[in-house]
Amino acid sequence: MILPLILAVYSGPEDRALVERLKRRDPQALAELYDRYGRLSYSLVLRVVRDKAIAEDLVQETFLRVWNRVHSIDSERGAIGPWLLAIARHRAIDYLRSSAGRDRNTAVELDETDHAPLYREMEAGILISDQVRRVKAAMEKLAPNHRTVVELAYFEGLSQSEMSAKMGQPLGTIKTWVRTALQSLRDELGVAVSSS
Amino acid sequence: MNCDQLREHYELYALGIAEEPERGEIRDHINRGCEVCGAGVKRALETAALLGASAPAAQPSPQLRHRILASVGSEQRRFGFAWVPVFAMAALLLVVAAYFAVSNRRYADDAARLRSQSARLRVQMRAQAAEIVRLTEAFAILSGPSTTEASFGGKQPQPPRGKVFVNPSRGVLLIASNLPRTPADKIYEMWIIPKGAKPVPAGLFQSQDDGSAMHVRPGMVDLASTAAVAVTVENEAGADQPTTTPLIVAALAP
Ligand SMILES: [Zn+2]
Repeated sequence: MILPLILAVYSGPEDRALVERLKRRDPQALAELYDRYGRLSYSLVLRVVRDKAIAEDLVQETFLRVWNRVHSIDSERGAIGPWLLAIARHRAIDYLRSSAGRDRNTAVELDETDHAPLYREMEAGILISDQVRRVKAAMEKLAPNHRTVVELAYFEGLSQSEMSAKMGQPLGTIKTWVRTALQSLRDELGVAVSSS
Repeated sequence: MNCDQLREHYELYALGIAEEPERGEIRDHINRGCEVCGAGVKRALETAALLGASAPAAQPSPQLRHRILASVGSEQRRFGFAWVPVFAMAALLLVVAAYFAVSNRRYADDAARLRSQSARLRVQMRAQAAEIVRLTEAFAILSGPSTTEASFGGKQPQPPRGKVFVNPSRGVLLIASNLPRTPADKIYEMWIIPKGAKPVPAGLFQSQDDGSAMHVRPGMVDLASTAAVAVTVENEAGADQPTTTPLIVAALAP
């Protein structure tokens, strides 16, 4: 696949320069960051909270958080897009939990700053590459129950115990579905993702 | 536990839903600098990012961009502690509001109302915090010993008029009055115009109801190579280069 590589090479240095400018508190850099990832993060947050006004609030929080914490990402090697999406997802799920009265602290660990160093050397172009299409295709290939558990995990932040309660299935069954679903995703994406 | 036993839990860990004991174990491995688990979780984070990017595409309102840019636009880290009272007060208000709301109304209604109240309050807090930062920046520019100022609009009978203050290390402050209200989908954009080069965007702003405006572009300015500061009316997303005739031009003394 040559196209994704070109896109990755093309976008990588740009993202790095952007992180540098964000660290220098250049407001224009925030505008560019928004132009690059605003729609993507809004789509994700809207999928989680399903309310446009709240989704916009949460996206605003996400960008402010990135602006305030950009120092925890390594501008030489950090991928700001995936990091930003992780923060957006965390904000959205955190909101979902608090509004549903679910306990924030049982199974979930949503402190994205812990993960910031792991975004080092991640392919910066990953989000605009062909791989997004690949993951969509891989999701569509999953059996319905398997797709459901992945969606509950990703878009609602449910732990396996919570899925078991929600779907009325024994925990053992849920764990099998999750394991199988993740294995299929890994098989579909493994080569593409780890080659970066 | 060894890395092989943790392998199947990397994705759950990356999504924040791994359970004990695996969660703690993976964390320990990563903190110890375990390369196997580090690489595994990194790959899982990539997959998570891709899953996030696979959400059905949706379009936020154009105002969101403004809100985000308006709520920063300047250095916030240095003033972090100054915000604490603002947030503490807002949190207290939220608790009080929650108490009265819950004791008076049915729970389902309250939950929805509280949600939107808390969202609104969050936005207000951000706006206030950003305003404090903006005023602090403005004051720093005004009071800087190396600040240069330039007036504009002095000879015109008609609006707008005001002053521009430029501090080489702190930035540009524009204070204007008699600014006409912009049309609904338009905004004011400030420009720093270097000598013999293209104008550089210096931020978006709106005027107040009374026609006044204060706008700060924090950061370094090379005074020697700057000819003027100008303001144009642009589409609300802002422009890379001016597309209308400036209604403010403040020429800086050579
Ligand atoms: Zn390990």
